[in-house]
Amino acid sequence: MNTLLTLGQFGIFAGRVVRSSFTHKLPVARTIEEAYRIGVRSLPILLVISFFVGTNLALQGYVAFRPMGAQQMLGMFVGLAGVRELAPIMVAAMVSAKAGTEMASQIAVMRIREQIDALEVMAVDPYVYLVTPRFLGIVLVLPALTIISIATLIGSAWLVTVYQLGEPGGPFLALVWNTTSGTDLMVAGIKGGLFGSFICAVSCFCGFTSPPGPAGVGRATNAAVVISAVCCAILNYFVSEVAYG
Amino acid sequence: MTDNVDIIPHQDAIIRLENVSKRFGDLIVLDDVSMSFERGRTTAIIGPSGTGKSVLLKHLVGLLQPDSGHVWIGDVDMAVANEKLKYATRRRFGMLFQDGALFDSMSAGDNVAFPLLHHTTMSAEERRAKAEEKLALVELKGLYDRPTPALSGGQRKRVGLARAIIMEPEIVLFDEPNSGLDPLTSDTIDELIGKMKAALGITFIVITHDIVSAEAIADRVGMLWKGKLVAYQETSKFVHSTDPVVKRFLERNLGHRW
Ligand SMILES: Nc1ncnc2c1ncn2[C@@H]1O[C@H](COP(=O)(O)OP(=O)(O)O)[C@@H](O)[C@H]1O
Ligand SMILES: [Mg+2]
Repeated sequence: MNTLLTLGQFGIFAGRVVRSSFTHKLPVARTIEEAYRIGVRSLPILLVISFFVGTNLALQGYVAFRPMGAQQMLGMFVGLAGVRELAPIMVAAMVSAKAGTEMASQIAVMRIREQIDALEVMAVDPYVYLVTPRFLGIVLVLPALTIISIATLIGSAWLVTVYQLGEPGGPFLALVWNTTSGTDLMVAGIKGGLFGSFICAVSCFCGFTSPPGPAGVGRATNAAVVISAVCCAILNYFVSEVAYG
Repeated sequence: MTDNVDIIPHQDAIIRLENVSKRFGDLIVLDDVSMSFERGRTTAIIGPSGTGKSVLLKHLVGLLQPDSGHVWIGDVDMAVANEKLKYATRRRFGMLFQDGALFDSMSAGDNVAFPLLHHTTMSAEERRAKAEEKLALVELKGLYDRPTPALSGGQRKRVGLARAIIMEPEIVLFDEPNSGLDPLTSDTIDELIGKMKAALGITFIVITHDIVSAEAIADRVGMLWKGKLVAYQETSKFVHSTDPVVKRFLERNLGHRW
């Protein structure tokens, strides 16, 4: 019952954002600002995590294929698992942890300190002012982050393959190249954009509906990460099912 | 209606509440409240904390919708107005929130100039000049570039006040302009409101639980108690009220302040 009520509220929230966005001038400058912020802030952690997921992909692939004497299949393994599945969901997790929590807590603080009310009284639509630029920013930037994550992951897997496992690097890259098509990259990018829109919508919604007080901000922020991570994981399954099933 | 509520003629009212009721879950906050606010005068609403003073104020600008009743701003009923009409009507208001509701990411002056950025075509220099003029009015000359988090409580309120009047609104709402301030700073705010009253001819509505402040600035005082408007009269009459609830509140409040 409570969940249904919240879903209803979320629907109303999303509807207001969409309607307000279409009836106002697009905040171009602030969108670029947000995109830059989300991208730049999430990049370091994303690079580190992608790098070390790539290394382990190579290690585990090697462990799995070597007994069959098929260690040259490593490239295929990295291509399929890394590019198609791991990179997009990893980016989603990182961005929801970094940018999503920031959105939720910033907006929640504005809610409990009456700054959102103040925006409305000053006749500035808070949906357009607070949500639209964040939404467009994240949707613009997530596909790019996903591609960067993919490149990092392949690079680190290559490093491990060549310098640690002593396998030839050329065939590895050739296999990665052959198993991943342009479509794969496109699907990964689309996943990124889709995850981004969910992360933003959920995080902003949690902020807007923050319970009162500092404890409320904490709860809103927490709910934002948990819900957006779960949404992205479920969504990931369905997109993969549609694209590859 | 009790004897303690004096009626304001229709033609003098800029805002009229008609039978407004509001509840949150089981909590009845406003219980069939009807009252008008006179154009060009200052009205104070007093009452113990938690009686719904802020809730009442939020109804005036459409931040809250009544469960039943009407909120007339001129001939617009905020209770049923669509978003577009509500936003248009809000342009007639300025509001000072309880803790200022300033944006911490901006300087004090940019907060004051914020409405200009959104509702005028002024250049950056013009906006700054206008904001500086309002800052001077609230005796914060030279503080344009001060980061908002570095402001004291009294300064925050004054910056909020400057922002509330920058668009030269017809009606200005204050939610507890004196709360959280020491008596001296609090008197300064009262003096500022008095000064603006004389200079601008605006309709002021001030919420406070401080009767001394209400007496200092208001032409008329209303008292909310348990969701009802128990008294609403000219200030001079109100402070000598014989109503037991009002009397008790006045005595306690005065004792508290002095
Ligand atoms: N948005 C809300 N949701 C639920 N309860 C609220 C809300 N706003 C105010 N209340 C409750 O309504 C009552 C009156 O609040 P308020 O108008 O802020 O009192 P005050 O007279 O001190 O300004 C309080 O009990 C408060 O908890
Ligand atoms: Mg209050």
